[in-house]
Amino acid sequence: MITVERLRRSFGDLVAVDDVSFEVRDGEILGLLGPNGAGKTTTLCMISGVLKPDSGRVLVDGRDIWLEPTVVKRHLGVVPQEVAVYEDLTARDNLSFWGSLYGLSGSELKERVDEGLSRVGLADRAGDRVKSFSGGMKRRLNLCMGLLHRPRFLLLDEPTVGIDPQARLNILEVIRGVAAGGTTVLYTTHYMEEAQELCDRIAIIDHGRILTVGTLDELTRLAGEAEVLRLTGGFAGGEARDRLQAIAGVRVLQAGDGSAMLSVAAGGPGLLAVLPAVLASGLALDDVSIQRPNLQSVFISLTGRELRD
Amino acid sequence: MAAFQILRRDLLRYLRNPGRTALLFAIPLMMAAIFAVVFGGHGDGDGITIRVLLWDEDDSLLGRLLQGAGDRPESEGRLEVVPVGPEGVEMMNRGDASALVHLPKGFTRAVIDGTPTAIEVVKNPAQRFLPLVVEEGVVLGATVLSAGSRALRPELDVISSFLDADHRPEDAAVASLSASFNRRAKQFDLYLFPPVVRLEAVDVGAAKGEEASAKKPQGIAAVLSVFLPGFAILGVLFLAQSATRDMLHDRETGVVRQLLTAPVTPASYLVGKCLSVLVVSAAGLGLLVAAGVAAGVAWGPPLAVAAVVVAAAVAASGTLLLVMSVVGSERQGDALATIVIMSWCMLGGAFVPLAQMPAFLHPIARTTLVYWATSAFSSLIAGGGIADILPNLAVLAGGGALGIAIGAAVMGRRLARGAL
Ligand SMILES: Nc1ncnc2c1ncn2[C@@H]1O[C@H](COP(=O)(O)OP(=O)(O)OP(=O)(O)O)[C@@H](O)[C@H]1O
Ligand SMILES: [Mg+2]
Repeated sequence: MITVERLRRSFGDLVAVDDVSFEVRDGEILGLLGPNGAGKTTTLCMISGVLKPDSGRVLVDGRDIWLEPTVVKRHLGVVPQEVAVYEDLTARDNLSFWGSLYGLSGSELKERVDEGLSRVGLADRAGDRVKSFSGGMKRRLNLCMGLLHRPRFLLLDEPTVGIDPQARLNILEVIRGVAAGGTTVLYTTHYMEEAQELCDRIAIIDHGRILTVGTLDELTRLAGEAEVLRLTGGFAGGEARDRLQAIAGVRVLQAGDGSAMLSVAAGGPGLLAVLPAVLASGLALDDVSIQRPNLQSVFISLTGRELRD
Repeated sequence: MAAFQILRRDLLRYLRNPGRTALLFAIPLMMAAIFAVVFGGHGDGDGITIRVLLWDEDDSLLGRLLQGAGDRPESEGRLEVVPVGPEGVEMMNRGDASALVHLPKGFTRAVIDGTPTAIEVVKNPAQRFLPLVVEEGVVLGATVLSAGSRALRPELDVISSFLDADHRPEDAAVASLSASFNRRAKQFDLYLFPPVVRLEAVDVGAAKGEEASAKKPQGIAAVLSVFLPGFAILGVLFLAQSATRDMLHDRETGVVRQLLTAPVTPASYLVGKCLSVLVVSAAGLGLLVAAGVAAGVAWGPPLAVAAVVVAAAVAASGTLLLVMSVVGSERQGDALATIVIMSWCMLGGAFVPLAQMPAFLHPIARTTLVYWATSAFSSLIAGGGIADILPNLAVLAGGGALGIAIGAAVMGRRLARGAL
């Protein structure tokens, strides 16, 4: 189990990670979901022991990674956001070097390298220099490096950004397989669909703070909506927001020039009562759609913003 | 141990990139070879005599430096600088010298003011190589003056006052000059272009058949013995630059960050990188020395030479590690390293033997590790033994070790802070 306790880290005046606590339970895939700049990478770097927290601590199976770094790091596999491989070495060179850092050698190392390469579909490019690889191939190689020593804990930082759907499927498949084998996974992403599909539980992070942690069901329930109404029309200004807010049973998630989002409480008057009230409020309404609550609406209800920039 | 894995991987990278590696090693060899060819075909056993006519209408700094170089007892038989007036042109037409260097009136003023001016070099067309040497030397001087006129104006004034005074300048004055020079040196690349001082090369008359000062040919080995030590040091510095720059590359590409997620401590990463810088530097220098042996250079007692190779590799590693530890990016590192290497090589006597440099530069030369390395090789070549170069070995190893320690400590602090 990875226990993250009250991590905090600032860069100058900017508090990148602020009092972050959560735990990754044995065998689960925990998604750390947040927009650009939320503090995901900073958090992950502190968990993996490369960035010193200003305060707080990280326990891996009860051991503090900053107190016993080499012991703990043996059990961690880390796949960074930026691909960090030696371009002038071959894929096999990179993997062999990486494995040797974990004490692998000889035929065992060779077997692991071969196994890893075929797992991520790079077996036929093993002898090519990484320089000649596409972005997706480099990412798969990086994933392979993180798995080579069969870590008990796998930390991934947005491993599917900027690659084609095929490679993405491959990566997600590999991660599922690893998790099924008992590895505990912390998966960082800003893709809601990925978090929804892949993760057992999801922690939402924004502006360096964890807003909530739970399963998809728990999160949507926690957000409290039965239904989300997306309105198209003119809703700019505080007055429009006030008028919407005045409708019974409605919480305004967001109101702007082109659109507004309302959450309609489950036990309240219901959608059928809300719509006439909107029309009666005198606001320009062009279109209405009903959304099942999902991570998007959870995020909006927590932050008042959409997840996508 | 992780340090050795890192060393192994770095060496593997040299093997996987044979082209780049060959180029790294070839550049200093080629430079030394060009010098050998330039000088090698001519001159007698005692060295090469270049006769230069100096027509200095301006009584300029460059003129005085040139004149001073020719006047030194050590230049006896190598460089002869003859002050002339307008009659120098006529002397050139008679083929009296390898080249005529003409510094026009107002030259110094123009350099100090940063206004364009020109040095005229009239080459003897009957000689193939020696005039080129003069031209190269003047190009170097012109480049330095160009940069200096913009970057070093206050220091130039101080140098000028040293030259005017008839007593030896105070040590403190020299030290402060060298400190302020070092400060300025950082800005050099900004100032090199466009040049303030242009070079105008003119050939006179028609070819006069055989070279006027034709002497019996001399082996390349003797010439290499003069120049290879300096170029070998230049070469090892460039190798160390390339090897240490790798650390910045690692940092910028996130490789360090990823390495530290493995059970690798910052200390073992630094030890591994320092080892590989040392090994590459020592191997490179060893190779350059071996190339010299192949060309017939008698370096001296093998053990003593090996000691210099190792000590110079330590010195080069320490110097470059220190340079790379203070910069923010790979590009900055490259710029600063090149400036440090070139100015140290110029000041330390890697290009021009110290004996031919003006006396006031000698104390400055001694502050450079280049001087201690080059002179160690030279004194072994001149027949010295290991006892003669003990101070050199001590300075090189001590200075280098200090550089490595400070450089690694600074980088280590950065790693520990997570400034990756
Ligand atoms: N080394 C650094 N120096 C200064 N500021 C930093 C540094 N690293 C991160 N930050 C800042 O900290 C905040 C969080 O950055 P972080 O990289 O953790 O975000 P992220 O959630 O990983 O974003 P992304 O999805 O874009 O990768 C950002 O505002 C970023 O600008
Ligand atoms: Mg990130």
